Amino acid sequence: MGMTNGNPCCVFLRKDVMRFVKHIFLLVAVACLFACVQKDEVDIIPVNDFFKSQDRATYRISPDGRYISYLKLQDKKQNLFVEEIATGKSVQLTHLQEKNISFYAWVSSDELIYYKEKNGQRFQSDLFIINKAGKGERKLTSNESRIRVLQDELTEGKFLLVLSNQRDSTVSDVYRLNVRNGEMKMALKNPGNITRWMTDARGQLRMAVSSDGVNETLWYRENENQQLKALVTNSFKTTLLPIAFSESNPNLIYAISNVGRDKNALVELDCTTGKEKNVLFANDTLNVVDAQYSRQKGKIAFVVVENWKKEKHYLDNDAKERYQKLDQLLPKTESRIIDGDKRENVFVIRTFTDRNPGSYYLYIADKGTVKKLSDNNSAIKQEQMCEMKPISYVSRDGLNIHGYLTLPKHKKTKNLPVVVVPHNGPGQRNTWGYNAEVQFLANRGYAVLQVNYRGSTGYGMNFYAAGFKQWGVKIQDDVDDGVKWLIQKKIADPQKVAIYGTGFGGYIAINSAIKSPKMYRCAAANSGILNLFSYLKSIPPFMKSNLQMFYELVGNPNTDFDYMHQASPLFHADQVKIPVFINQSVKDPRINPSDAIQFVKELKKRNSQVTYIENDDSPFSMNREENRQKMYTALEQFLESNLKRK
Amino acid sequence: MVSEKDSGYRKNFSLIVTFIVLISVLFVLSLFLAFNFSKKNIENDFVSAKANVLEESMKPYNDFFLNKLPEISYYNGYLDSARASNFADSLLLEYPFVRNVLFYDTQVKNIKIEDNGINYGDCSIGVKSIYQYGKSVPKDSIRLYSENEVINPVDMANFRALSLKFITFVERMDTTKVPSQEALFSNFTNIRSNKIDYFNIPSVEILKAYKRMVANKLETDPVYQQDMLSFELDPAKIRIRNTRPLLYQRVQVVPITYDPLDTSSDYITGEITLGGPFSDYKLYFISSRSFVKKEIFSYFLPIAALLLLFYGVLVLVAFLIYRNLNVNHKMFKLQYDFVTNLTHEFKTPVSVIKIAGNNIKSAASLSPQEQRLYGKILDEEADKLNGLMNKLLAFTQIENKSITLNRDEINITDFIESTLEAHQLKHPDFKLSYEVGGFSTFITDPVLLGSLFDNLLENAYKYSPANKQRVHITARLIKDKVVFRFKDHGIGIPSSEINNIFKKFYRIQNRYNQNGSVGLGLAFCKELVNFMHGEITVKSVVDRGTEFKIVLPYIS
Repeated sequence: MGMTNGNPCCVFLRKDVMRFVKHIFLLVAVACLFACVQKDEVDIIPVNDFFKSQDRATYRISPDGRYISYLKLQDKKQNLFVEEIATGKSVQLTHLQEKNISFYAWVSSDELIYYKEKNGQRFQSDLFIINKAGKGERKLTSNESRIRVLQDELTEGKFLLVLSNQRDSTVSDVYRLNVRNGEMKMALKNPGNITRWMTDARGQLRMAVSSDGVNETLWYRENENQQLKALVTNSFKTTLLPIAFSESNPNLIYAISNVGRDKNALVELDCTTGKEKNVLFANDTLNVVDAQYSRQKGKIAFVVVENWKKEKHYLDNDAKERYQKLDQLLPKTESRIIDGDKRENVFVIRTFTDRNPGSYYLYIADKGTVKKLSDNNSAIKQEQMCEMKPISYVSRDGLNIHGYLTLPKHKKTKNLPVVVVPHNGPGQRNTWGYNAEVQFLANRGYAVLQVNYRGSTGYGMNFYAAGFKQWGVKIQDDVDDGVKWLIQKKIADPQKVAIYGTGFGGYIAINSAIKSPKMYRCAAANSGILNLFSYLKSIPPFMKSNLQMFYELVGNPNTDFDYMHQASPLFHADQVKIPVFINQSVKDPRINPSDAIQFVKELKKRNSQVTYIENDDSPFSMNREENRQKMYTALEQFLESNLKRK
Repeated sequence: MVSEKDSGYRKNFSLIVTFIVLISVLFVLSLFLAFNFSKKNIENDFVSAKANVLEESMKPYNDFFLNKLPEISYYNGYLDSARASNFADSLLLEYPFVRNVLFYDTQVKNIKIEDNGINYGDCSIGVKSIYQYGKSVPKDSIRLYSENEVINPVDMANFRALSLKFITFVERMDTTKVPSQEALFSNFTNIRSNKIDYFNIPSVEILKAYKRMVANKLETDPVYQQDMLSFELDPAKIRIRNTRPLLYQRVQVVPITYDPLDTSSDYITGEITLGGPFSDYKLYFISSRSFVKKEIFSYFLPIAALLLLFYGVLVLVAFLIYRNLNVNHKMFKLQYDFVTNLTHEFKTPVSVIKIAGNNIKSAASLSPQEQRLYGKILDEEADKLNGLMNKLLAFTQIENKSITLNRDEINITDFIESTLEAHQLKHPDFKLSYEVGGFSTFITDPVLLGSLFDNLLENAYKYSPANKQRVHITARLIKDKVVFRFKDHGIGIPSSEINNIFKKFYRIQNRYNQNGSVGLGLAFCKELVNFMHGEITVKSVVDRGTEFKIVLPYIS
């Protein structure tokens, strides 16, 4: 910074320092910020800004479309509010001190139900009903079981279908809950393997999905007087996801299916035969991930396909017209419908892009107006964020791998330090949109590579199955091939590549430290899986069938013992030659914290450079922010000392 | 001695002797102390280094205990007989003190069991099968037990003890807190004499499940796999690493009660208890006294050498100081003589002048002869004094290098002739001859060269008997050097004195020296020649004559 630039700052500084001695540090920070802007450099945005979430959330529209409700966080306390759309008058419904609202819904145009939960106690939920004016709060149930609302619309003005595990904590039965007196009557007993229930437009329970962990069976009945009958069975590798009952044809449902094909399609399923009757939308390259059924119109409005980002394909012209109007009102952004009224006229819309955490809007279709409700994270300025670009490359064995590349701002796309961020798993994927972690790393000057390695969902059945039992083998190669591709494109500095991931992403990162130490300068894992045996052990043994699925995905300890031994980093600490960063919560139920402690001990004994951060957070605790700050600050230092220092 | 005392100059020989005696006493004393220190130190080492030997010897065991045992937990209960065998084999190979490994494949469930395990609350821990691995285990007795079939009788007590230990721990566990690694490790491990039992430590979630299973029977009827490995250890196979082989003659593992009677006073012994499963054993250290003595000496000798070196340096310094004092004393004596001689030299002309002055003062009248005589005497004596002073001054100047060297070209024949003529005039009986060869002119400082000639000729005249007062001068150019030779037939210089004649104030004691010499002449000549970048040497035979040779650089 030149003197001419510096002086005004200093004058400004001096005056104020005299006035506000206490604020000296703040002012220095401000002055620095000025200096930075003048230098046309990227502002370093505080860690927590990236991860802040909205203080208003979970918007819902009353069935009559006249009221909007939301949860609001004030002084770390979450409460339910209802606002009249026409007048903007709002009423605070709850006054909670210790508990949180984990779920709420409108059950009629006048009443809402909600759960109160104590922090960390996931299996204790009390169900309440309250008038929209905040009067007449009544506790409906209270027991040490989990209750979930299945059908959030009152039938006969007083009955609600709920799922509860009060009979047996491992299975959910369907109950008919009388919201007037809190009485619960079992509507259907779960034989033990039903994982999903579905009601039709009239609230009739007519479909269920059962699973033995590996195979999924669809059960169907024409009306509630009949018994559910098994319709069709598929393995977990295939998708058959019921979307809605057709109202025109009695025995027809809409479903997303990849039975008999690689990519998901939207089909009509004949429930008398279990066969596909009609294909509504199918494409060899596009994967259907969602479909929107319009109850009012009685047909599917659009399907959502995901390639590098989600896109709508309209199956109904009216819907197309309406959503295109919405696109005109909210240009240059993605939008999703969060909730709507019965008439499908008043909607809550959520927008987002890769560079914007997005906002909530109230959309009134017949008036053609949108009104901003709140920002998801107002600390983030879109112009400071980095673009997330889709990329693809061919792996060493000829598979087409897709991913995303986020480049830091104000830097030449040449010889950049790179952080590879493999996603968690098994069976997940990276999607296009605002990603706090990626933006944080890009803001710190790193190019961020995300790879949808084989086994990721969304690229068809074959691609998904190609990743089975390939942890540490071909999945590792896919990630390494992505780095090679970046180096070949001269974007990456081959000397400055780091890898960081969470869960199975962390597993891939630590495995890289063992398998490809020449490619990566350092590796970091957050709640990383270090031992596949421990991972399988975290699945309760009574979930035998579920275990079978994981045996296929990850490995069977009885038959694939040697593979799992080979693929688990914990057994190979002696081969770690690059600096390693490990963060974990000792209360994380998905991992065995002893594994990481032993691993770190072993590394330290071998004088390997290792940074270990431990917290005793449960995944639902309130001081997450503090720990998150600690973890990302440490990660930033770790990456900087390994990638930026020459 | 008397003259030394008179001159005020002290030699203090006794002081030096005292000093030598003192440091010698100190030397002996420090040797003695050093030896005692070495002895104490080695004896202390014998006690303290035991811990070091223990630590080094137990390193493989500690590695086994802290690194290899937890590895069992890595497998999370998924070990079967084949994998356990692989694991056990690697341990048996790496750690010779592991004699035998028993593998208990066990289950934790909610169903009561009869005899192959323990029941605790509603929870039971039962053995499915037991295998043993070891170097001396025959192939057919690897499997000791499988459900409902006892192949070989096996003691289940250790299994029951450890099962009870960990299930009691689990029952009392506070589920809101995460148990520490140390607490887990110690509650899933049982250390007995020569045996270690280890249960794989499950994750906290599973421990919570166990706790629920103890409290009530779960409907899901969960079955968890647990692996227990029991290691039989052989303390005799611990490889002892004697880190001080020169201190401990023998180190061995012996039972803790070992206390031999036959250890005489010729031996030093020590012991230290082994920890953990080997607590019934100890390391026993024994060395003979002579063995330890060797170690003491090997410790003491470097110290002694150092002391000796220090002592030697001190003595050397004392000697050098003594020598310097001696030299200084001689120098002092020379200067003293010089002053005496100089005074004497000055005294003769001064007393002659005094007598002449007195005579003139006291005479009523002076005849012309008398006046001429006194005039001549006064003139001559004043010249003598002036000459003396000039010489002294010139010498000081030369010595302090306060004059500069002039460079003039001279004709060597003319120069010699004019010099000889002046001396001839002074001493008519002086027979002088010369010869020049190889050159006629060269560049030098004529005044200094003249002074050199004067001094040497004056000396030759002075130290020659009356009838042999002659000098022959040769000047030759030899290999870019001008060489002058002054050959006389004088009294000569004894070979014992030849090295001293160029020293300042040095005079050979003989009859020719009785008058008019301060012992500066030749020292002055040497200074002059050095100043002119040349060399002066002398050859002499007593009673035959002396030849001085002067070599000067030839510049033309």
